Amino acid sequence: MLKYIIKRVLWMIPLLIGISLVSFMIMHLAPGDITNSEAAFNPKASEESRQKLREMYNLDKPVIVQYGLWLKRMATLDFGKSFASHQKPVFWQTTDKDGNVTKGLIQEALPITLMINLLGLGITLILAIPLGIIAARKYQGWQDRSITLFNFIGFSIPGFWLSLLLMYWLGVVNNWFPISGLHSLNYESMNTYDKIRDSLSHLLLPVIIPSITGLAGITLFVKNGMLDVLHQDYITTARAKGLNERKVVYTHALRNALLPLITIIGLSIPGLIGGSVIAETIFAIPGMGKLFYDSVLMRDFPVVMGILTIGSALTLIGNLLADLMYAWADPRVRRGVVRGQ
Amino acid sequence: MTTPYSSFIKSASIVLVSLGITACDPSISSSTDTTDFSKSYPIESGGTLVNAMTGEPSGLISMIAGESASSAITSNIFNSLLKYDKNLELEGDLVKNWEISADQKTIVFKLKPDLKWADGKPLTSADVLFTWQAVTDEKTASPYASDFQLVKKAETPDPLTFKISYEQAYAPALDSWAGLQILPKHLLMGQDLHTTSFARSPVGSHYYKLDSWAHGENLKLSKNPNSVLGQARINQLITRIIPDNSAQFLELMADHIDYMSLDPIKYSRIIPARPELRKKLALYKELGNSYTYMGFNLKHKPFDDARVRRAINHAIDKQEIIDGVYLGLGINIASPYKPGTRWSNPTLKPYPYDPAKARALLKEAGFNDTDDDGILERDGKPFAFEIVTNQNKEREKSAVLIQRRLKDVGIDVKIRAIEWASFISRFIKTGDFDVVVLGWGLGLDPDQYNIWHSSQQAPGQFNFIGYNNPQADKLLEQGRLELNPDKRMKIYHELSRVLLEDSPIVYLSAGYGLSAIHKRVRGIDNPAPPAGIGHNSQDWYIPQSLRRNEIIQ
Repeated sequence: MLKYIIKRVLWMIPLLIGISLVSFMIMHLAPGDITNSEAAFNPKASEESRQKLREMYNLDKPVIVQYGLWLKRMATLDFGKSFASHQKPVFWQTTDKDGNVTKGLIQEALPITLMINLLGLGITLILAIPLGIIAARKYQGWQDRSITLFNFIGFSIPGFWLSLLLMYWLGVVNNWFPISGLHSLNYESMNTYDKIRDSLSHLLLPVIIPSITGLAGITLFVKNGMLDVLHQDYITTARAKGLNERKVVYTHALRNALLPLITIIGLSIPGLIGGSVIAETIFAIPGMGKLFYDSVLMRDFPVVMGILTIGSALTLIGNLLADLMYAWADPRVRRGVVRGQ
Repeated sequence: MTTPYSSFIKSASIVLVSLGITACDPSISSSTDTTDFSKSYPIESGGTLVNAMTGEPSGLISMIAGESASSAITSNIFNSLLKYDKNLELEGDLVKNWEISADQKTIVFKLKPDLKWADGKPLTSADVLFTWQAVTDEKTASPYASDFQLVKKAETPDPLTFKISYEQAYAPALDSWAGLQILPKHLLMGQDLHTTSFARSPVGSHYYKLDSWAHGENLKLSKNPNSVLGQARINQLITRIIPDNSAQFLELMADHIDYMSLDPIKYSRIIPARPELRKKLALYKELGNSYTYMGFNLKHKPFDDARVRRAINHAIDKQEIIDGVYLGLGINIASPYKPGTRWSNPTLKPYPYDPAKARALLKEAGFNDTDDDGILERDGKPFAFEIVTNQNKEREKSAVLIQRRLKDVGIDVKIRAIEWASFISRFIKTGDFDVVVLGWGLGLDPDQYNIWHSSQQAPGQFNFIGYNNPQADKLLEQGRLELNPDKRMKIYHELSRVLLEDSPIVYLSAGYGLSAIHKRVRGIDNPAPPAGIGHNSQDWYIPQSLRRNEIIQ
């Protein structure tokens, strides 16, 4: 087992290099660079100064040389500095000689996105598992049908539209919740209890809305898994030997039905850091989605590459974790894996 | 920044907001419901103004960060040597007066006495010299360096005097010094302007100083007790960063922000239709600082023929564009200068919409519909071209209206809208386009050498339409050498006339800048003077009884 893990981890290195090479090339194939931004299209800004900037950022060198320089820095885990955000570090904070700390772009954006997505995933799971179970047990009954209907309405409603409607209703018509942002303006002067309440009320809409739209998929997964399992012989056996229905469903069936969910959760790990541009734009949340999107538009290569690298590393780790969790949860897979090596 | 779906969100939300309005409870409860905003209140200092911006500044050193989000904040923190007054005439900002030598090559600035930085240190001509050195330094790679590189010698004979000499007279010099924000030498000496933490915690000399900057959330400014121009009335300025326009508008409706800029639909349809918004919001319009144009690639046939350009100019109904795209909130212009300022030539009139004349001119240029398909031909080739523009809703809509009008006179037009960086590098830099729809600033200084002079056509330079007219070249050169405002005015009036006659571009419209400000904010000039409503923002005030209940620290 250990040998298997080491082998998988070592395999990740060439994979990561390959991914980074491809994304670096694609990014640089897109026309334009940071000196072509809309703000730079100003007759007062001369072409010579743009050329100087290009030299400063090594953008005048061939792409493959630029990639070499980037790889050399990455070997020491140096993600570099953003072009567009006044040389802010891409990943982690730096301290200058006077002790002024400059925080990294990803360092600031990642915790926000991670928190929202984890809360969202948590809420989705808490709602989807019971809904899936009910739908499977009352298959074709009115409960099943109404759950399916509810899920698909949630799935089909455009998130931004629902967001704006709820923002209008909860924030403008009734002054119940804040409309956008992460904190109230007087957050700094609040006590701890108010701070928590303030943060939670700001997070409510951005967390709930993606959960509602994401509910359909996972509920369906749980429901189908459950339906498969409930028709297995061993469930019939369990029922035949007089176990009560609760025990049959929650102890015997559920554990097996949830197995495919592990894969889904494993695969959602890279999504956890991704963030949604649309939600973050509407709710004015300075998260990863907006950061990535703005960086692509500005051709801010160090930031784009930084996010892509972290994202692809997490995807690979997520896959590995999913496989391992699967093996841990399902003895059949575990034996198969060991024999396979 | 415009995202492809933000405009989609915008238009969808307009529908939503206007639907919501009729469907939902019409009385939006607010503590200020019973307040009478029409009453007059005594002038009082204090209070907090909250506004919103869609983008976040990249940094607060404006000679490096060129975007509007950055200058919106730095203009409250830093001073320049000169500034523009409400009628867009130059006046002293840090300087008491300035003198131009008889040969027009030397300018002597006299600083006001006893100037201080926000940290209490004296502000002297050494700081001005330092700023000039910084902006011209190779390492700074400032996009705005070129104006300042023309300064041959800069001296500081005493702490209140800053003397500069140019190789030859350079008329845009004064405007360039009005645009250069003076930085403190004692804090930036020996620092790399690109990496210094000063860009995120600046110390300036203007009415306000930066208190805090929560990344992606807000910037808080408060009154600078050492302000060189006296004290502003409002204590605190908070700028919230809200990227989505609809979310900004919801915040404005819920009274969480006081000030936002509007699009024409919100200005002329949504707010006037809702009494409870009309009661608490005052609407302002001011002539913006830019215009939209359609530019021809003068190196491509048939656009090298002035008759063809004039014909197209006559064939386009500009009023229709203003009414359709800007809901009437724009004006027709006939020169690249802001109407109402001295540089704009009042005798010039835009090309009237006249399809008959357009057809006649095209016929004169050799275009005829020989095969009766409704499209004109010359030498057997149909008159067809592509309008390229970037993904900007207003420009795309203008292009569609142009397409239709040109179809009427027998020209087949296709439209392509692409993302900005691709647009610039694939079409503008390579010169591989027929016609573009773009915008230029209505510069406060009349010098537009970089846009119109025939020497400015290399890739990356701004005369990408390839305009080459010896008469215009000569006027542009003269205008740069003449510092006397009245003589200079004549030169640029003549230039505008030449440009209008030659029609290398079609002026489509200059849109108004629109904004809504909560009626609690008093002292705003309405109607706006040429410089816009912001020119006296230090005199705006919020009466005690109209302030928000919550105390924002």
